[in-house]
Amino acid sequence: MIDVVSILSANILYVVLITLGGMLISLSVHFVPVGGAPAAMAQATGIGTGTVQLAAGAGLTGLVTAGAVMAVSDSLPLILAAGAVGAMIMMSVTMLVGAWVYTYGVGVPPASAKIKYDPITKDRQDLYVSQGTEGHGLPTVSYVSGVIGGLLGGIGGALVYYSLMSTSTGLTMTNLIGLASIFAVGIFFVNAVIPSYNIGGTIEGFHDPKFKKWPKAVFSSFIATFLSALVGVLAIGGL
Amino acid sequence: MEPLIGMGVLALMGAAATVAGASEDLESDVGSQSNPNSQVQLAPQMMYPHRIYNKAISGEPPSNALMCAIGGTTASVLMTAYSMSPLFAIAMGALFAAIVHGSYSISAFLGRPASQKRFKQPVYLDVLRSHTPVIMGYSYITTFCILVVSYLMIAVLGHPFPLPLLAFIWGITVGAIGSSTGDVHYGAEREFQNVEFGAGLNAANSGNIVRTAESGLRNGIDNSWFCAKFGGPVTGIAFGMTVFLSGWVTTVFNPAASLTMGWLSVVAGVILVLIMIIWNRKIEVAARAAFGPYKEDEVAA
Repeated sequence: MIDVVSILSANILYVVLITLGGMLISLSVHFVPVGGAPAAMAQATGIGTGTVQLAAGAGLTGLVTAGAVMAVSDSLPLILAAGAVGAMIMMSVTMLVGAWVYTYGVGVPPASAKIKYDPITKDRQDLYVSQGTEGHGLPTVSYVSGVIGGLLGGIGGALVYYSLMSTSTGLTMTNLIGLASIFAVGIFFVNAVIPSYNIGGTIEGFHDPKFKKWPKAVFSSFIATFLSALVGVLAIGGL
Repeated sequence: MEPLIGMGVLALMGAAATVAGASEDLESDVGSQSNPNSQVQLAPQMMYPHRIYNKAISGEPPSNALMCAIGGTTASVLMTAYSMSPLFAIAMGALFAAIVHGSYSISAFLGRPASQKRFKQPVYLDVLRSHTPVIMGYSYITTFCILVVSYLMIAVLGHPFPLPLLAFIWGITVGAIGSSTGDVHYGAEREFQNVEFGAGLNAANSGNIVRTAESGLRNGIDNSWFCAKFGGPVTGIAFGMTVFLSGWVTTVFNPAASLTMGWLSVVAGVILVLIMIIWNRKIEVAARAAFGPYKEDEVAA
């Protein structure tokens, strides 16, 4: 029988950090401009895939780089920054190549249907939306928003992984890495799914009206991640 | 490790990832997986029965992650428990993954058109026979290349994650990239070549996909022929760039050397991201200048 109280009291800091990481992931998903299935037909602004899929793809790339850096360094800020860089690179590359396809393959200019002027470049948007669509491609504001999403998601995922790896345990290093990385992936998915109820398929970025709903998702993530963190820390700490 | 060897391995990983990205996208075009499949699924309900392979086992990322995790687990078991050579183990892992993916494809194909009997959509068995081996072939290439990338990361670059997990993560990433980039070429262009070039799909045209090919009736293989000219290769570039650039920053500025080098790797990554933001802006400006607006400004007019 494992001693629940002493494991938790020894690792309470990591439970808090994991919960914080989960909330960051949840917030980050709101920044990622996804258009779902309609965007794959150039029918909505954003990237033509699902919320969870893209956020997970970026965040897990960040987890790979954070894991690589954590194997050689024990500086928490550096590990978090490495996670953020990995996720930002994946997100930037995907959005850039997406822009190639929209521009050169489909022949549509990037345009948003939710706003009249791009808040960053001040470009007119509504004139460039083709008939019968809700915008298409990635205007600069959506692109920058996606990069911010990658940044926060990468930091969140790396924070969760770092905390799980730092939990006091009797596991060997190989088993600890395996278990911690799988828990980190699981916690990432939990927090990537929760915001998708807010987003409902499509969001253009931080300028989208749906973005204002983020506190609800972050609060839900707080509860879900806290429970996941308890299970994760107890499972790793009890072995 | 010598920095030069690290760069060489990274180049090999980038090349393997490029092939994986391209084959992942073409696999989803032959089988019509992912988001554009919503139109293939909708077409019979709008009275447009077709001969396009219709499988959407799941979203692309989970389905590729499953393939790669199966391949990675098989390869890992063969290497550790049976001391097989890595190349043989990876080839066998990819073979198992392709077989599992093929069986999922068959059940998805038989299930989806069969559920549309009331819309007079036939279940074409010749399409099943001709397309399933192609799908399995592409899934074999994808899994093989991703396992090569994952194995090199662990064996040479010393990544701490176990092989199946790393393969799983790269599977999720390749699926996310494939459905974000290459599939747009299939969904927005190839499926709707009957409408004027240079516009998004008008909601009024939903389901009215092109059903005639360059010769005869169109099927999934015709679609992959078209997408192999642009959508597939750019997906490969995207995944190759992701794998290469995310590894490049830590290979050139190795965080194991010192903390300063670690922070320099972060700075290098941020500079790369800034370059891509500017690149995207350049494309945006050029596209708007080249294509022009769709409507006149009401105030000016």
